[in-house]
Amino acid sequence: MKMKKLFPAMLALLLLVSVGLVGCSSSDKSKGGSSSKGDVVVDIFQFKVEFKDQFKAVAKKYEDEHKGVKINITSVGGGEDYGAALKSKFASGNEPTIYNVGGPQDVKDWETKLADLSDTKAASVALDGTLDGVKKGNEVLGLPYNQEGYGFIYNTKVFEKAGINPKDITSFAKLQDAVKTLDNKKKELGLKGVFALPGKETWVTGLHLSNTFLSPEFNGNVIDTFNAKKVDFKYGDAFKNVLDLENKYSVQPTVSLDYSQQVEELFSTGKVAMIQQGNWVYSSIAGIDQDLADNGIGLLPIPVEGFKEDAIPVGVPMYWAVNKNKDKKEVEEAKKFLDWLYTSDAGKEAVINDFKFIPAYDGFDASKISDPLAKAVYQYAQDGKTIPWVFMGYPTGWGQEKLGVDIQKYLSGEISWDELVKDSKTAWESSRK
Amino acid sequence: MKKRNLWYWLFLAPTLIALAIVVILPLIYGVYYSFTNWNGIENPQFIGFENYINLFKDQEFLESLWFTVKFTVVSVFLINFFGLALALIVTQKMKTSNLLRTIFFMPNLIGGLILGFIWQFIFLKVFSGIGELLGIESLQGWLSTSTTGFWALAILMSWQMAGYIMVIYISYLESVPQELLEAAEIDGANSFQRFMHITFPLVAPAFTVSLFLTLSNSFKLYDQNLSLTGGGPFHSTQMVAMEIYKTAFTENAMAYAQSKAVIFFIIVAAISLTQVYVNKKREVEM
Repeated sequence: MKMKKLFPAMLALLLLVSVGLVGCSSSDKSKGGSSSKGDVVVDIFQFKVEFKDQFKAVAKKYEDEHKGVKINITSVGGGEDYGAALKSKFASGNEPTIYNVGGPQDVKDWETKLADLSDTKAASVALDGTLDGVKKGNEVLGLPYNQEGYGFIYNTKVFEKAGINPKDITSFAKLQDAVKTLDNKKKELGLKGVFALPGKETWVTGLHLSNTFLSPEFNGNVIDTFNAKKVDFKYGDAFKNVLDLENKYSVQPTVSLDYSQQVEELFSTGKVAMIQQGNWVYSSIAGIDQDLADNGIGLLPIPVEGFKEDAIPVGVPMYWAVNKNKDKKEVEEAKKFLDWLYTSDAGKEAVINDFKFIPAYDGFDASKISDPLAKAVYQYAQDGKTIPWVFMGYPTGWGQEKLGVDIQKYLSGEISWDELVKDSKTAWESSRK
Repeated sequence: MKKRNLWYWLFLAPTLIALAIVVILPLIYGVYYSFTNWNGIENPQFIGFENYINLFKDQEFLESLWFTVKFTVVSVFLINFFGLALALIVTQKMKTSNLLRTIFFMPNLIGGLILGFIWQFIFLKVFSGIGELLGIESLQGWLSTSTTGFWALAILMSWQMAGYIMVIYISYLESVPQELLEAAEIDGANSFQRFMHITFPLVAPAFTVSLFLTLSNSFKLYDQNLSLTGGGPFHSTQMVAMEIYKTAFTENAMAYAQSKAVIFFIIVAAISLTQVYVNKKREVEM
């Protein structure tokens, strides 16, 4: 009788223990499990969700051409989430082979896990300056994804109707005139505002906009920025003027306006004439109005008074990094894959046509770039009318959590511009002590 | 408890092991990490109490703590007030009371993130739409000032949790003996007196439970905070949980964030335990 009751209990216990044991043993296996088939597995953990399907397709093609290599792609997107996810990924012990780093700060943080890529073909054809942020002595610790640029994206039809020729807008004064004209004709143009300034997105104000005006101060060099003990806001007045202009003529309230409202709700439907964004918004706009995306948008410079008034900021958003703690074969395969992606004909084809990247490497046929924003960015780069990106060299969290937040305070009238400048300077200095 | 033999411990073992692995060990690890300078990537080094000293000078942390306290006071009051009110409504003899119970409880079934986005739409679009229509300036631009952001969070929280707390109150309200109420009625007590002197003391245990739940939930709020205001504008509606997350992941200060989390844990535990102790003492035995 007693046995009858005991039996189910014993069984349950046995099950529990066996589940526990299986759990242990399987995790032991996973380290070398994949190599049992003779395949080298390259795990990629990357941040750009916009092109993940295309990327997977290209990886599949690579697998077909190169037997014995398997490529796993995981995409986690959107700024800060990627950093958090990457750290969790490493902490879990399940380290990826290829991952992304953003610039000098990331390189410093991840230094012990970055393989030297200077012997890759891709590194040798990377465009001048694109490797600055990831160089350490003679070592190249990352390979650029692509180039991106931002400025004021405008609606060509609205400009036409208002009788403004975008080609004339080459200085702050002319931009101001154009904005005033647009504002006066707001009703007949069907606009809710001239701009849509997304104050909620601290990366738009605290990183992108500020970069335009801080870059010249640091000679457009991300390493100089990274090493700078202080920031002077040398072009602070120009910065204030542009921010004020955007804010004054924007759909209100700006502090709670976010990216999707700015790009999808307001700009893509023609309710505002201009937004400060980059070539990455092309697909968002195309998703709503293909015709507008293909034939109705252009890119205007962000004028920096006293420096360049007709240039746009262009830079590399992220770099590919290879984990040097993985076994040699895997590291080699990872390098080969990146080389193939940026230097082989098939890879290059995919980078331009499928990914719609603006290449950061020599040897691409730029005439194949199809979307108008990417074309405009490329054109500015050709003409030398660019301002380099330096915001990856800001102290950790400074751009978004400090300056961006202070800009929100400034926009809602909590603090004055002078206080903003003072506050941001102090924060920079104290984190660079 | 009688004799605790081997079987007793054997059956308890799975739970104890699970508890140790997912709660106790991480807690101990966490406390250890809070004394280091770990940035989430490199190996940690022991630095003693430095993190704890710094966090009491950390303006942002203190501000978010103060905001959380204010928010908790307001939402504990609102949730319990509405929870009890709803419970009183649906325990009346009405035909629709079952339907109403379901409706009031429903917000609880929606995840916090989604709820936040839904209310974001309501505050931004519906409120400003009504404001435009009626010409009421103050309805426009909710979530863009710190005051309205605060109330937006409080409204969202009470809307979601009142129905849940209602269920707890219902169960106690329904166990109040009818004879007592009838006796009081015969003695000439009006309905307000009956509620204050009979129902209210008898549902006191419900207050203990509800206050504990609302208090700890409001303190720990994260997902609604993230999706509704994202801490904005200018971090003014940033609650402690979110501040800790940001310290850990956007400022790469894992150990520092951990020390904040330890302090946060101590505060929540202290307040909740005190509250339960005080409430327990006031409960009346039937």
